[in-house]
Amino acid sequence: MGVPLNIDWQQILLHLFNFLILAGGLYLLLYKPVKRFMDKRATYYKDMDNAANEKIAAAENTERQYADRLADVQEEIGQMKKKALEEAEQTAQAYLADANEQKCRIIQDAKKAAQAEKEKIMQEANAEIEGMVSAAMDKMLVSAGENSLDNFLDRAEKEE
Amino acid sequence: MSKRKRAVFITVWILLMALILAAAFAVGSSGEKESIQAVMRDAVLHDSNKISLFGIKDVNPAVISALSVSGILLVFAAAVRIFVIPRFKMVPGKFQLILEELVGFFDNLAKTNSPHRNGLLGAYVFAAGAYVFVGTLFELFGLQVATTQGLHITLPAPLSDINGAIMLGCLSYLIILSGGIAGNGLKGIGKTLKDFSLPISMSFRLFGALLSGLLVTELVYYYLSLSFVLPVAVGVMFTLLHALIQTYVLTMLTALFYGEVSEPHKKEKTKKVKS
Repeated sequence: MGVPLNIDWQQILLHLFNFLILAGGLYLLLYKPVKRFMDKRATYYKDMDNAANEKIAAAENTERQYADRLADVQEEIGQMKKKALEEAEQTAQAYLADANEQKCRIIQDAKKAAQAEKEKIMQEANAEIEGMVSAAMDKMLVSAGENSLDNFLDRAEKEE
Repeated sequence: MSKRKRAVFITVWILLMALILAAAFAVGSSGEKESIQAVMRDAVLHDSNKISLFGIKDVNPAVISALSVSGILLVFAAAVRIFVIPRFKMVPGKFQLILEELVGFFDNLAKTNSPHRNGLLGAYVFAAGAYVFVGTLFELFGLQVATTQGLHITLPAPLSDINGAIMLGCLSYLIILSGGIAGNGLKGIGKTLKDFSLPISMSFRLFGALLSGLLVTELVYYYLSLSFVLPVAVGVMFTLLHALIQTYVLTMLTALFYGEVSEPHKKEKTKKVKS
């Protein structure tokens, strides 16, 4: 044919024919089924991944809800504690006030009793002293005689 | 194994090797023998050794190689489709993993280089990659065929024939062109035609790479003195290496140019920037 390197167009077409059959066969028998399987597996794992992500999102949502609820409950507990503390304090204050009142009353009663006792003792002591003075006076009068009494009375008149 | 038994085994083995070597020299080569110049020339030009294609036409040995490679690949693919793919599991076994890695590699190559349009490209680079790789390794099997002249030759890699390389290079260019048309219409054709040297460079890169491998192998096998130990490195290692390299280069270049020409033209963005 006069073409350099003995290039033969008929043989090129034969090679082409052969290669096209090979390419078609390989595509249908190997490439497409293997690729389809790989795509199917990729889809399968992607679906699994999506489902897992959805579950994770749902779990996170539930966790958030529980956390919110827990925070509410804790706040409620705090308020209840505070209220209970206030009530306890009020009760303690009332008890203290009552105890103080009682203490004051007892002290007053004791003071009154002591005063009464003191007065009673003083009265008794005075009565005793008076008795002793009159007894002593009687004794002196007896010993000094009647003149002494007269002198005394005279002098008292003079002074007036 | 005892020391005595081991010594007996090694002695028998060495004697056997010596006997085979002596027999090889004593028997000599049968029939006609081509000169190294003729072998080299035929490897490049394919003007003397032709093979009859079912009695229809005399073709280069690479056409038979191409048909054999396609047959092997299609039978393998059919077997995999029937026996392996229906038993695929969500957690893959070793063989399933290899298949998925292969398909995934070419699919990703297409997707990363051409994110906008990659359905056809992925299928094409997969087929081309498998063809180049298995076709290059095919010469390792050393399948013998009879030429029309009565000589026995080893089937070469399909792409070490200029016709096979031109076919794959030009087809890759046509695929790139189709991507340009699908992505950008007339502008895509212009973009593709701008790289008019691409089919030639792709074809001759493949041809040159695989032919050089073939020539080195032919040279090594031609001389008896080079036929011991050396083919292990030359035949297997070089063939494996350039099978991998050429597969990667062709598929990568095709995907790269396809992505470039099929990328949609961004008119709106430039207008916005101007305003």
